[in-house]
Amino acid sequence: MIRKQVTRQALDAWVDGLIAAGRVVGAQKKGGRYAFDDLRRAADLCLDYDVTILPPKKYFLPPKEDILRFSDGRYESVSDAAPFTLLGVHPYDMAAIAQMDKLFAQDNRDEHYLARREQATVVVCDIERMSPNIFAASVGTATAADGCDALITRVGRAYVIESHTAKGERLLAGLAGAPDADAVTLARREQLWEDNARLMSRRELRVEPRRLPRLLEDAYDHPVWEEKASQCFACGSCNLVCPTCYCFDVQDDVEWDPSRGVRRRVWDGCMLTDFATVAGKHNFRKNRADRYRHRYYRKGKYVPEKIGDFSCVGCGRCVSACVARIADPVEVYNRIAEVQ
Amino acid sequence: MGKPRVAIFDFACCEGCQLQIVNLEEEILGLLQVIEPVEWREAMSDKSETCDIALIEGSITRAEDAERVKRIRARAGVVVALGACATMGGVNKLKNNFDLHDVKTCVYGEAADMPHLDTMPAMAVSEVIPVDFAVPGCPMSKTEFTCIVRCLALGKTPVIPTFPVCVECKRNENVCRYEYNEVCLGTVTRAGCGAKCPTAGGWCFGCRGLVDDPNVNAARDVMEQYGKTMADLDDRLALFNSKRE
Ligand code: SF4
Ligand code: SF4
Repeated sequence: MIRKQVTRQALDAWVDGLIAAGRVVGAQKKGGRYAFDDLRRAADLCLDYDVTILPPKKYFLPPKEDILRFSDGRYESVSDAAPFTLLGVHPYDMAAIAQMDKLFAQDNRDEHYLARREQATVVVCDIERMSPNIFAASVGTATAADGCDALITRVGRAYVIESHTAKGERLLAGLAGAPDADAVTLARREQLWEDNARLMSRRELRVEPRRLPRLLEDAYDHPVWEEKASQCFACGSCNLVCPTCYCFDVQDDVEWDPSRGVRRRVWDGCMLTDFATVAGKHNFRKNRADRYRHRYYRKGKYVPEKIGDFSCVGCGRCVSACVARIADPVEVYNRIAEVQ
Repeated sequence: MGKPRVAIFDFACCEGCQLQIVNLEEEILGLLQVIEPVEWREAMSDKSETCDIALIEGSITRAEDAERVKRIRARAGVVVALGACATMGGVNKLKNNFDLHDVKTCVYGEAADMPHLDTMPAMAVSEVIPVDFAVPGCPMSKTEFTCIVRCLALGKTPVIPTFPVCVECKRNENVCRYEYNEVCLGTVTRAGCGAKCPTAGGWCFGCRGLVDDPNVNAARDVMEQYGKTMADLDDRLALFNSKRE
């Protein structure tokens, strides 16, 4: 493991070096908020962002992608996976990527996702600023960075940069001349992790996530579903901004010569009216409340039963994205835990 | 199977949707690979007794228009409404909010009562005849139009989004207009435009009409949460979603 300690200036020089060598994406300002985008220079990188509008899942599962091209009765799978560095992912988003890694490698392997994932070098950065609705500390994702290739932590005016994998080590090659992190700084970093693990929550989830599958089992007819869903636009914003939501729709588009065309997949969301509509126009989750409930069951029960992880990482994006202000997992799960 | 014979008709509108067909430019050659135009006032002098597909632009706002569109229905296999005016009445329905005589006087002054200016409340084509498919939008989107035409030519049922514009805003990673404390109609408006207006920095005008199952009550309730009034919402809805009649 390489563990360096650098100034912001040295960090920027390193990042500029990475940009010169290949594709680097990082959080940047966008309309008063932040978004991951291709970096043109280190000065645009915001390591002190609170939260990005969309999670970095868009680099592994793009909003729209061609997966297959067909012509004259033949077809070929297409993939645009190419090497890139994803710089400055928050720990909760890393936790979400780690969940997707498990899910997409299970059963039918999702080669498109896995190819992009394979090509990525992911650098996590510890959270410097709390977003308005974060509750990562409540679900244990405020610091853990399992699965990342390297980790950046700001400690006072210094940055500690450490590699976790061989890919990470290669990335840190440009820092060979920088000093190793000193013991005092590392001790302060420990302290910062402890603080983040305790404090990075605007609200407190008053139920242990591992109890949720059982609690939800008995909450199928809880009044909260109808009550909240009556205000729901079925707009899917809560799904689309969620780092652990990955549902997609598959559509074919033919050219004017109908023997040629593409099959593409686009983001979908279980809150949308026709998400569960199947052949014959049968919709097995026709009511808003059914769909609203499904989202909480998926995060709190179905995914945990499949991979063992609570499928909400506490980023708070859904809370902010919901115009109707009804999408808060903390509020809903606390309600369910309350009565029982 | 031969190419479907297609006729294009226009009613009260700005003809912007037909212009979108013209704007296809070299893609028109592609279009002609899959359809055979048999009547199109803007582009050809031929007329046809019957057609497989009638593409209708504009809203119905005079008694003779209603009669004409019924005749079109009778001689067409499939009827497709093009654009906001045809699919929902569009901006023409703004006049339905007022007394018709006042509206005419405002525009034509003393000539308001001339018989050729006789008018009735604006209606979508579907309010007069059964319509099989709709290409919403003001103007309609070229991509959606060509996709629907290809589907029809292949004998597939065209599908347009049933979800609101928010989905496309999220796919584009736009900052939500409500975060800027603006009233945006995207929460209840049918997507398919790619969230063009919010992506360009504006709010959604609702030109594609409401989704099939809009939560208009929720749209009203949220006004209060954002320090707005119902009048703010209704003002915005009036442009494309004025009261039906
Ligand atoms: S459910 Fe909400 S808070 Fe939880 S991970 Fe998804 S967007 Fe973040
Ligand atoms: S963001 Fe809010 S309004 Fe939209 S689907 Fe989710 S819960 Fe419903």
